[in-house]
Amino acid sequence: MITLGSGLTDSQGHRKLSPVSPLLSAVSVLPAIIGFALAIFLPSGFSFTQNFPALRPFVAGVLVIGLASLALSIFVALFQILGWRAFSFWIDQDGDLRVRSGVLIRNERRVQLSRIQAVDVVQPLVARIFSMAVLVVEVAGQKDSRVTFRFLSLTDATEIRQTLLNLAAGTQTESTDTDSPVLFRLPSRDLALGLLLRTSTVLLFTATIAILIFSYVIEGWAGITFALVTGGVPILIVIVEFITYYGFTVYDSPDGLRLRYGLLKTENRTVPEGRVQAIDFIEPWLWRSHSWTRVAINIAGVGSSSQGSSGKNKETLLLPVAKRSVADSIVARVLPNIDIAEIDWKVAPIRASKRSPIQWRNLAMGWSANSFAARRGRITRHLMIIPHARTQSVHITQGPWERALNLASLHVDTTPGPVSVVALHLDVDEAREALYGQAGRVNQGGGI
Amino acid sequence: MNTDSAFYSNDDWIPISEKLISARRLVVVLVAIPVIGIVIALWLIPAVPSFIAWIVAALGLVSFIWLWWLIGRRVRSYAYCERESDLLVTSGILFRRLVIVPYGRMQLVDVTAGPIDRAFGVTTVQIHTAAATTDAAIPGLVPEVAAAVRDRLAKRGESRAAGL
Repeated sequence: MITLGSGLTDSQGHRKLSPVSPLLSAVSVLPAIIGFALAIFLPSGFSFTQNFPALRPFVAGVLVIGLASLALSIFVALFQILGWRAFSFWIDQDGDLRVRSGVLIRNERRVQLSRIQAVDVVQPLVARIFSMAVLVVEVAGQKDSRVTFRFLSLTDATEIRQTLLNLAAGTQTESTDTDSPVLFRLPSRDLALGLLLRTSTVLLFTATIAILIFSYVIEGWAGITFALVTGGVPILIVIVEFITYYGFTVYDSPDGLRLRYGLLKTENRTVPEGRVQAIDFIEPWLWRSHSWTRVAINIAGVGSSSQGSSGKNKETLLLPVAKRSVADSIVARVLPNIDIAEIDWKVAPIRASKRSPIQWRNLAMGWSANSFAARRGRITRHLMIIPHARTQSVHITQGPWERALNLASLHVDTTPGPVSVVALHLDVDEAREALYGQAGRVNQGGGI
Repeated sequence: MNTDSAFYSNDDWIPISEKLISARRLVVVLVAIPVIGIVIALWLIPAVPSFIAWIVAALGLVSFIWLWWLIGRRVRSYAYCERESDLLVTSGILFRRLVIVPYGRMQLVDVTAGPIDRAFGVTTVQIHTAAATTDAAIPGLVPEVAAAVRDRLAKRGESRAAGL
């Protein structure tokens, strides 16, 4: 039988989570517990002083809250211990991952290793202090398609991760974090500058300055609250994204690209080779002088709507900001043979300016032997690429305005994610020809 | 089917059953009944001036006639075509669309019919791929035709299946 990691095992030889995980789980929810205790017990805390007049109200309050939090924490920890006792996982005879869990309702899951999309090691802040980690196994599927192993020691988690990936790939390659070559490391300065120079941020800041000047001139300071929103929100977004993507590093590894980032919570993601469905190079207006680009990707089974919107962007971003040349070389690693240079672009006709007066100059589509590409956007440019082999279907649409101008839009459908490949407002005959041509190329391209 | 569509090709397009028109129109009639009720109620309540009832009635009548006419055109705009290696579905009047689904990319084929559709003897064949945006549905097929289409598609899909 294949052993997973080097941690605790039970009498049947099944792996257990780290014994400190109940405690860690209790600590992670401590802020919530304290908040709860504050809300419920604070009024009664003050009434304590009636029974013990010697205590000052403040001390009494702190005492009551402290005791209540402690009791609740112990309660939560006891619950977690029961959960921990019931949780075990192992590799069965067929070579699949089995996960047993549940106190009241016993549940045994069988995860086909060949279906694994990604195995991530995540370190939330509390776990990092104790050098513990959370292992997340991502499986292709619609709902509830991830298995979370809450709290293993970091070395144990990375070992299990490697074993699972090896089993999934059917190989026995050995690789550790330390010897993976670094492909790209994002300097903090570039990240901060890149986030600040995004079109939305710049526009909101400009608006803020305009409001401030206006308020100063007319001496009507009512606009200040408005300025706080227009100025405060982008600052908050920039700070949050900076913390999330701080120290963004891309490693090369046998099973694809390894991404590691985060200031408070270290994310460790793998972008498996051959799982990337479509790609989008996003270039905001003010990034162009640096020739910077942001790269979003669609991965099958990852970042679909069932996992909530918060995780969506994070899990489908390949690069937050990078030089175009660097981005190209990294993209080539996960999506080989996309030959953008060879593409013969078919641009939207001049009459498209009557439909989209700003972006029409950048509207175009093109294809090569193995991929389809489309461009759109003027202020924030998009370059979307999808390999023929990953194309699910093609469709053409024409609204009333487009019909009046004899235009049509060609959509190349890909799996759910942030990238949607669409060539907008092209000449009808050209779009129609491309539609049937694209269908032919998809059929010839075959599967994977 | 509208042959004036810019997306028209010389393939062998099959229109859907016109029974769907009756089925969809019945839905409109069922929606109209409570609207008529509201108009009568407005007419009878003394506090409401009678011209309001007239306006509601006029709006209801206009949208009823418009929907009646639109349903006929929309249903006739649907057509599908089974080519050697892919399926084509076209639809729409104001917003036209034509989708091409290669048989190899089909994940599953659904055949569904609601109670009204069943009463009129029409079913919908819906083709799913791994992309949520594919939206290739052929409504208004006679059950026998729908079953035959589903079986043919499933067979062709199997022989050309490709993973993700």
